[in-house]
Order: sequence, then C-alpha cells, then structure tokens
Amino acid sequence: MSENFENELRRALRPIDAPAGFTERVMRALPAQREPAPMRVVTEQPAQRLMKRIGIPMAFAAALVLSVVLGQHVADVQGERLADEREAAGLAASHELMQALRVTSQKLDLAYQAVKTPPPAGDEENRT
Amino acid sequence: MKILIALALATLASAAPAAEPLRGQLQIPEFAALADNASESVKVTLDSQLLGMGCRFLNADDPEQADVKKLCNSLQGIYVRSYTFDRDFAYPKADVEGVRRQLSGPGWSRIVEARSNKENTNVDVFVLIDGGKAKGLGIIASEPREFTIVNIVGNIDLEQLHSLEGKFGVPNLEIETSKKVEPPKKK
Repeated sequence: MSENFENELRRALRPIDAPAGFTERVMRALPAQREPAPMRVVTEQPAQRLMKRIGIPMAFAAALVLSVVLGQHVADVQGERLADEREAAGLAASHELMQALRVTSQKLDLAYQAVKTPPPAGDEENRT
Repeated sequence: MKILIALALATLASAAPAAEPLRGQLQIPEFAALADNASESVKVTLDSQLLGMGCRFLNADDPEQADVKKLCNSLQGIYVRSYTFDRDFAYPKADVEGVRRQLSGPGWSRIVEARSNKENTNVDVFVLIDGGKAKGLGIIASEPREFTIVNIVGNIDLEQLHSLEGKFGVPNLEIETSKKVEPPKKK
C-alpha cells in the first residue's frame, strides 16, 4: 500500500520539461523596461557635514584638554599638599631647634651658676 | 639561583658604607625605655637637613629667632636628650658615663667642670676644637632626678653664641671672642 503511494508520489514529483514556448510567453508577459526603484536622496546639512568631519578630532582634542586640565589640577593639589607637609615639618623643626637651644641655655646657666656661686661651707665642690 | 641573588644582595648590603657620624657628633644612646619612666622628656634630633629646614622657618622679624637663624646656618646637627624623673637616679649612669667617655677623645676640651657632692649635680661643658675653631659642643648635666645631654655639631661661632646671651637665659660665659681658642694638646 505504502509502496504504491510512494510510487504515485515519485511519479507526480518527477521533473518534467517546460512546455514548448513557455519561456517566450513568460518573457512577453514581462514589461519592456523595468523602471528603477525610486531612491531616496538624503541631503546632509552643512552643519552635520562639518560635525561629521571634525567630530572625532574634536572629541580627541576635548579628551586631551580635559586630561591636561585634570593632570594640572592633580599636580596642583599634590604640590599644595607637599608644600603643606614641608611647612609643617619645617615649623616642627624650628620649634625643636628653639627647644634644643632653651635646654642648652638652661644647662649652660646651671654650669655658670655652679662656677660663679661661692660654695657654702661644708659643700665639697670641684669647679673649673 | 634565588640563594645566589640573596647572597649577592647581602654582600652588597654589607659592602655599602654606613652613614658615618660627623666630626663632633656623639653616639648618644636612644634611651627609649627611659622616656616611659620619665615624668618629662625632651628628645631633639636635628640633622643638617632638618636643621636647615628649621632655620628657614624661623621668623626673622622675631629678634630672638633672628639671632638663632644667624647661628644655626653654620651648624650641622643638634641632638638633645633630657629626662626628668620622679625619683632619684632612675637613669642608667653607665650610659651617661659612656657619652662622657666619648668627650675625653682627641680634640675635645672640657671648658667647664662643675661638681657638687652635696647636691649630686655634675655639669660638664666640652668643646671640640679643630683648626683653632670650635666644631662641636657637648654638655652633660646630671642631677639626681634629671640628666641632660646636649650635642651641637658644626662651626660654632663663639661670637654668635655670645650674642645669644640674655636670650633663652644664656648666661654671660665670658667667652673671649678676640682670642682664638687654643687647640688641645695631643694625647
């Protein structure tokens, strides 16, 4: 049963040649000259053209300027911070210097007093 | 290979010259443990770099600081250790004596020696003379509850030190500025 059906199907779907004059009939049915499909012409505005031409360089330039400005700002901030740190260290050092000289003068004064003051009776002192 | 690199680095590190102390600079112990026990402590370590920085930040309009500014430009270092305690002799006398021994080395001259057995107060002032000029100053002052070591390194202009008299309570030391300091006899 199925074999019959397959045979029928194969016979129905077998390739057959086109009837005589088929090609000519089809060609005659076609229009003589095909009209070109209408094209939509997009005309760019001058401003758009300008933007397209200089857009990328401008973006690069803007990025460059931005990075230079940012870099300068960062350098300024760091410079200020360094200057502040240097000033703080310098002020601390100057305070230490004054403190050191105060201690020095106190001890020189102690030596001076010890040398200049006459020894009380009974105090064994060695002064030079 | 790693061992070789480590060995090479160790050799280089050992060959690198250690920072030599300046002439007139004393090897002062750190006294790190003392600071905790002391009721008051002053530790000043100003090498030439810090000293230069400190000098720059002194106020020239302040007469006291202006005089110090003149003096400190020729200095190369100031080192002070001063500790005050609540009880007697809480500090290691051996360390103080160790510093005192350095001041008995060549070049150093004791210009002031004051001993009071009653008050247990000793004050010694030393000057390092080199080429007829004072290149270092050392002060060791020990009292029962306080000891102080001062070391000033550099060209100490006695005339300028003299000009500080009356400031910071620096007494008139009767330094003869017209005479050159006699170099010490060689030991």
